[in-house]
Amino acid sequence: MDTELLKGTLALLILSLLSRKSMYGYEIASTVHRDTDGTFTWREGSLYPNLHKMEADGLIVGEWEEKETGRKRRYYRITRDGRAALREKMQSWSELCVAVNRILEKSDGQA
Amino acid sequence: MGKLDQYLDQVCRGIGGPMEMRQHVRQELREHLLDAAAQHKAAGLTDEAALDKVLEEFGKPDEVRTELEATHGQRMNWFIEKAMQWKEKTMKSKWLWLSWAHGMVGAILGLEVLFITFNVILIIPRFQKLMIDGIIDPDIMEDQGVAWFVNFLHNLSYVAGHWTTQITLAAIVLWGFFEWRVKSEHKTFIRLSALGTIAVGLMLVIILMSAGLVVSFTMGAPALGRITRPWVFEQVTTIDTSMTEVEKSLTAKDWNGMTEQVDRALTAATRLTAGPAASTLTAENDNAKI
Repeated sequence: MDTELLKGTLALLILSLLSRKSMYGYEIASTVHRDTDGTFTWREGSLYPNLHKMEADGLIVGEWEEKETGRKRRYYRITRDGRAALREKMQSWSELCVAVNRILEKSDGQA
Repeated sequence: MGKLDQYLDQVCRGIGGPMEMRQHVRQELREHLLDAAAQHKAAGLTDEAALDKVLEEFGKPDEVRTELEATHGQRMNWFIEKAMQWKEKTMKSKWLWLSWAHGMVGAILGLEVLFITFNVILIIPRFQKLMIDGIIDPDIMEDQGVAWFVNFLHNLSYVAGHWTTQITLAAIVLWGFFEWRVKSEHKTFIRLSALGTIAVGLMLVIILMSAGLVVSFTMGAPALGRITRPWVFEQVTTIDTSMTEVEKSLTAKDWNGMTEQVDRALTAATRLTAGPAASTLTAENDNAKI
C-alpha cells in the first residue's frame, strides 16, 4: 500500500488502536500488521515520532512499565483530548472516503 | 559495540532535548527492535538475520533520525548545548545571585559604617585629646608633610558630629526616590552598582581614617620623648645633688643626713627605670640602663 497514504492516516490508526486499550509501540505496529493482514507495510521507525508528537500534543500519555522479565515497555493510553481528536478524525475520514468514492465511481471505467 | 547499539547511536545522536528524554527514546526503540527480532527468531531466522531484517523494517537510520529530530528538535553541538544549559540554570537562579550580591554589599556597608562610627566616637576624640595635650606634636607632622591626615580626621569628626542626621535622611530620601521613580529593567543592577560605589567610597574613608590615625601617631610620637625629657633631667639633677650632699655628710660624719640623701638618690634612680624615661637621654636605638 502507498506509504504516503498511510502517513496521513497513521494518527487515526494509532488513536483508534489505543481507544481499545493501552499498548506499547511494538504492540501497535504488530496489531496494525495483523489486523490488516499485512496490507500496511510501513517503516516502523515512523511510528515513534508520531507517538511522541501525539504525546506532546496531549492526545496520548506514555508510561514506563517494567515486566517480570526485566524488560521495560512504554505503554501509551489515549486521553480525553485524544478521544475527541479521534472522533474528529473518524468524521473527516468518513467524509473523505465518501467524497473519494463518489469521484472514483463516476470515473469508473475511464482508467 | 553491537550492530543494534551502533544503529541506535546513529538514530539517537542528533535528537535534541534533555539527556533523560533521549535515553528514554533510545530505550523505547531498543525494546521495539528486541521484540521484533525475537518475533523473527521465533519464525526461524538466525540472530543476525533477524536483527538485519528488523533494522531494515525499522528504516534507515538517517530517515528515522530525521523524523525524530522533527519531533524532538535537533541536538546542538555539545559545547553549545552545555552553554545553553548553563545559561538556563543561571537565568533561573538570577534572583539568588542578585540577592546574594545585595546581601554581601549590604554587609560590607554595615561593617564599614560600624567601623567608622567606632573610630569617630572612641578613637578620634582620644587622638584629638593627645594632640591638645601636646603628646602628638602637629609641627612634626607639618614638617613631614602629613598634616592633611590630621585635617581629614578633624573634618571627619566634624561631619560625623554635625551632619550624620542630615546625611542619613538624604540617603533615605534618595533611596526612596530611586525605588519610586526608576522603572528601568536594569533597576536591580543600578541599585547594586550604587551600593557598590557607596561601599568603595566608605572604604576610601576608612583607609584615609586608619592611615591618618596610624601615620599621625607614628610621626607625632617623638614628642613623647620631648615631654618626658625635663622630668628625666629633674630626676638626674636630684641624683647629682643628693650625691654631692652625701659627700658633704660623709666629711661632716652626719650619718643620718647621708642616709637621707642616699634614699633621695635611690628614689630618683628608681623613677628613671620606669617606662621609657631613660631612653630619652640616649641616641636613637641605643639601649639605656639605670
